[in-house]
Amino acid sequence: MEMIISHNGRDWVAENESLRVSAPTLELLDIRLTEKMRAGHMVARGQVKKVFMAFNNATIPQWIRQYAQHYFNRIVEVRG
Amino acid sequence: MTSVNRKWYSGMLTQEDWWAVWLGLFFFGLGLLSIAGVDLVGWAVYPKKWVFNVPEGGTGSISHAFYALGSKYSLTAKAFYKGLGWWSIIWTYVIFTIATCIGAYCMKWDLKRYFVGWTIIYFLTIATWFVGHHAFFAANKTNWHKYGLNFALSLGGGASFILALIIGLIIGNFFKGFASYLSEAAKPEWFIKTAIVFLGVKVGYLPIKAAATSAKLGHQMADLTGHLFLAGAVATIVAYMIFWPGVYLIARRIFKLPRKTAAVLGSGISICGVSAAVATGGAVRAKPVVSIMVSALVVVWAVIELVVLPGFFTHVWPGTSDPLVAGSAMGMAVKTDGADAAAGDLLDEFLRNKIEVETNGRVKWPEGVITTSAVMTKVWIDMFIGLWAFVLAMVWVYKIDRRPGETVMASEVWHRFPKFVLGYFTAWFIYLAIFFLNGAGAPEGMHVLKAAKAGAVPVEKGFRKLFFMLTFMSLGIITDFSKLAEAKFGRMVWVYFVALFLFIIPVAVIIAYLFHHGMTIPNIAG
Repeated sequence: MEMIISHNGRDWVAENESLRVSAPTLELLDIRLTEKMRAGHMVARGQVKKVFMAFNNATIPQWIRQYAQHYFNRIVEVRG
Repeated sequence: MTSVNRKWYSGMLTQEDWWAVWLGLFFFGLGLLSIAGVDLVGWAVYPKKWVFNVPEGGTGSISHAFYALGSKYSLTAKAFYKGLGWWSIIWTYVIFTIATCIGAYCMKWDLKRYFVGWTIIYFLTIATWFVGHHAFFAANKTNWHKYGLNFALSLGGGASFILALIIGLIIGNFFKGFASYLSEAAKPEWFIKTAIVFLGVKVGYLPIKAAATSAKLGHQMADLTGHLFLAGAVATIVAYMIFWPGVYLIARRIFKLPRKTAAVLGSGISICGVSAAVATGGAVRAKPVVSIMVSALVVVWAVIELVVLPGFFTHVWPGTSDPLVAGSAMGMAVKTDGADAAAGDLLDEFLRNKIEVETNGRVKWPEGVITTSAVMTKVWIDMFIGLWAFVLAMVWVYKIDRRPGETVMASEVWHRFPKFVLGYFTAWFIYLAIFFLNGAGAPEGMHVLKAAKAGAVPVEKGFRKLFFMLTFMSLGIITDFSKLAEAKFGRMVWVYFVALFLFIIPVAVIIAYLFHHGMTIPNIAG
């Protein structure tokens, strides 16, 4: 599953067409994502699903993007 | 708006880093056509020193203050380019406006604002280039008499750089609304990365240029650039091992900054400025605001370094006794590619002028070698940042902030790799191959080398200098010193000050000395 991750100044936000989670820390974000995926039956019990989070570089101000155009991408394993 | 790096080819048409490669290689390719007898780059504008009243038997007429480089170097269209004169300013403007506007369009910038901003910045830059080449600023002691002068500042081409920076800083600090409008086109990193691709042509062309004097000198120059390449790599690795832990410890132990802030600041101050701060921020999963704050500091401090260090290295130490130590130290000490390459070129101008004056013209160094030594270390630093950030990400994700289930991807190294260096090395190695595949200065291959020179000079001299000038102007425009006074930076400003002047710069000079001491620049004085 693929999601876009960004930061709104207060929270990390991960979203795609069917899911949106936010949290002040990445640790909490992963926990909330797991809960939502379990509740939405997006991951079956005992199954491990890889979630690819690509950082939305538009979060970084445009004047900085000329210096660096990548923040981070991450993969999180969600266990059902 | 969403912009993500998902695939290895993400950003090829939408990121400035890639557009530096496309612009640089396009004009490099046009230059190469001279080998086939087609000169498509001779229109490149270049300034000459001038005075209002030319003395009898002297030189420096205003009417010749700008000329098309093809009028001097073209083998096939010299007469046409001779006719351009000052019109070469317009030719250069039109062609680069089209080229950069295509880039701006693909990068989804506000095209109208970019076009207007670019036009203003271009003509301001040209005007500054003109003023900076008045013989009072630029002529050195050995040729004052040609311009009817008894005294001049002897700054060489450095005068134009300093003036461009001053004018940019005046706009950036006293006309903030105007600066904000121009910011759509004031892109020092894009300009300098493109200039560094052009510098690749310069590094590859240096042996060809030297071979015109003698094949032996051509070989010496090829060897020197190779040594700079290796010494730059080793010096960079050593610097990484010392700089980062040192600044991290200063930030943590003395200034008690939080761990993530110290890591981001450590990279920003010690490695390569904004790109390192952003890469490290991402690697340690810091909130983007941390990288943004550090970046704002880096940009201002880098300009302060750019103002202070070239003069210091020229007139205090090491001066003309160890010019490549000075260049390499500059590469390690000055953050951001733009400020470093600009400082390196300023140092190049200062030291070449100084050695010529000190030896009364008996020693002349080819233009660009000192700049190359400054940029070479920076290029290595830039290339390593992806790897360094990857290591930091592993340490943070798997050890410090351990989150079960999270994986760090190896593709992160590629996404953080500075793409413009691909253009730099391509241009360098192709010209170097042309040198070695055509006799390396032997008489039978000289006709090819001469043809290559006709296409290389407008790129490595004309375009490169123009883009350096644009960098100086743009750096000034986007630098707002009042940011340093903003209280929210607090301790960060002091960490930066202490780490930079009491740790980074002295250590950079020592490392540069260890790896570059004794390297000499070939003398090209006739």
